Amino acid sequence: MTVLKRVSVACVIIGFLVQLDAARVRTEIAPAQAQQAAAALPLTMPNKADSFKFAVLGDFGTGSKEQYELAAIMKRVHDQYPFDLVTLVGDNLYGSERPQDFKKKFEDPYKPLLDAGVKFYASLGNHDDPQEQRNYKLFNMDGKRYYSFKPDTKQSVRFFVLETSYPTPEQIAWFEQELKASNSDWKIPYFHHPPYSSGERHGSDPQIRSSLEPLFLKYNVSVVLTGHDHFYERTKPQKGIVYFVVGSGGQLRKGNIDTRTGLSAAGNDQDQSFMIAEINGDEMWFNAISRQGKVFDSGSLTRRK
Amino acid sequence: MAAPGRLIVTTLALCVSGLVSACTRSSSPPVDQTKAAVPGTGSSAAPAQPVNDDAKALAAFLDRVNQYVVVHQKLENTLPKLSKDSTPQQVDGHQRALSKLIQDARKDSKQGEIFTPESQMVIKKLIAKVFSGPDGPGLKASVMDENPGVPNLKVNARYPDEIPVSTIPPQLLEGLPKLPEEIEYRFVGNDLILMDTHAHIIADFIPNTFPK
Repeated sequence: MTVLKRVSVACVIIGFLVQLDAARVRTEIAPAQAQQAAAALPLTMPNKADSFKFAVLGDFGTGSKEQYELAAIMKRVHDQYPFDLVTLVGDNLYGSERPQDFKKKFEDPYKPLLDAGVKFYASLGNHDDPQEQRNYKLFNMDGKRYYSFKPDTKQSVRFFVLETSYPTPEQIAWFEQELKASNSDWKIPYFHHPPYSSGERHGSDPQIRSSLEPLFLKYNVSVVLTGHDHFYERTKPQKGIVYFVVGSGGQLRKGNIDTRTGLSAAGNDQDQSFMIAEINGDEMWFNAISRQGKVFDSGSLTRRK
Repeated sequence: MAAPGRLIVTTLALCVSGLVSACTRSSSPPVDQTKAAVPGTGSSAAPAQPVNDDAKALAAFLDRVNQYVVVHQKLENTLPKLSKDSTPQQVDGHQRALSKLIQDARKDSKQGEIFTPESQMVIKKLIAKVFSGPDGPGLKASVMDENPGVPNLKVNARYPDEIPVSTIPPQLLEGLPKLPEEIEYRFVGNDLILMDTHAHIIADFIPNTFPK
């Protein structure tokens, strides 16, 4: 017994010394790890294997240095958090829309994402030419100005993509029909003009709100994605629905969030930004990420039932 | 919009759709069809008459719209069809080729050929009704958002690339006559235009549509 005890103690001591040595080794390689740590962005998403992951981007197609820098951050995010698709909330190309503009303002900045197989699904903003964009293959609009689609995921999600600069009675009727026919747990509309926004320049669009909000409420919409105001904002729940304004993908209107509206739960009007989201079951998590790679808003919400 | 305003707009829209469908279904005199199609206009003939005149004016406008679209479609059919896989070069080439064909075919066209003088009056009245309600200031702000206008607006001209399209509030689209897919209403400053969306050109316009 005594011998066995001595052997055991010796083993423990040897093991401890080995661990110390290993720790020293880890310490010695710390500079390389530090570099890797600097490259990793501080995302706070669950990143579950069976989740549906997507990004939201709006008001981006300027061709500016800032748009390209944010696009590079999006690629870094995708490297560590592989979202499947990007929902575009409008103003996809500013100014002329010649073939070279599609290249400079979309294909070039997002080439690394496109090459990685990420799909972009566009909605039309007031700066977008419907004829040019609805037929553009990489915007996946299938020739339509408004449409819905179900992403390829085990999660129960459907997106409804509207054109809010021309909301014909036919479009509103189609939207209600689509909502009614959908059995998806998560019904996520996205479009350009925000029903709720604290923007001093544009702000809430009461006309769009009065047309669409009753349908959101009737068909248990939980979250709505929009742009138009050139900043990021997450509203406090409005009648139980959270509205995101993500009009900061290239354009930026610094200092434009009017805090007096009382709508904001969080916002950023100081830097270009985009948003990532993850759906798993009844939960949706989100991070809003700036051009500097900072996560400035995060959280989760539970879907309405 | 106040309830009476909405009622007038809805009545007018019903009247127009009733008349237009009656005209396309048969060659019966449109006035009689309209009288039958307009409920709630009262038993006396006097108040019904202006509505019927308005409906006739809008039916004439839609007739001109349809004539335009026939020309548009005929010319567009001479071009290679766009597909879901069209490149930006193909889409842009198609749009510019179509605009050239239409501009050549309508080179002598003038403002007011589609928006007939009578329909301009009716549409201005309709816009005034919508924008004079309690939601009027908000509606106008929505239309004028990023809408600086264009000096010397011209029929057949390309819609300026640098100017975003105005938003048309759903409350106004509910009242205006429904258009074929090829064209749509937009505001350029205070002017209401008919925009050919395939060709990106201004088919016609009504100047100064907003009430002073």
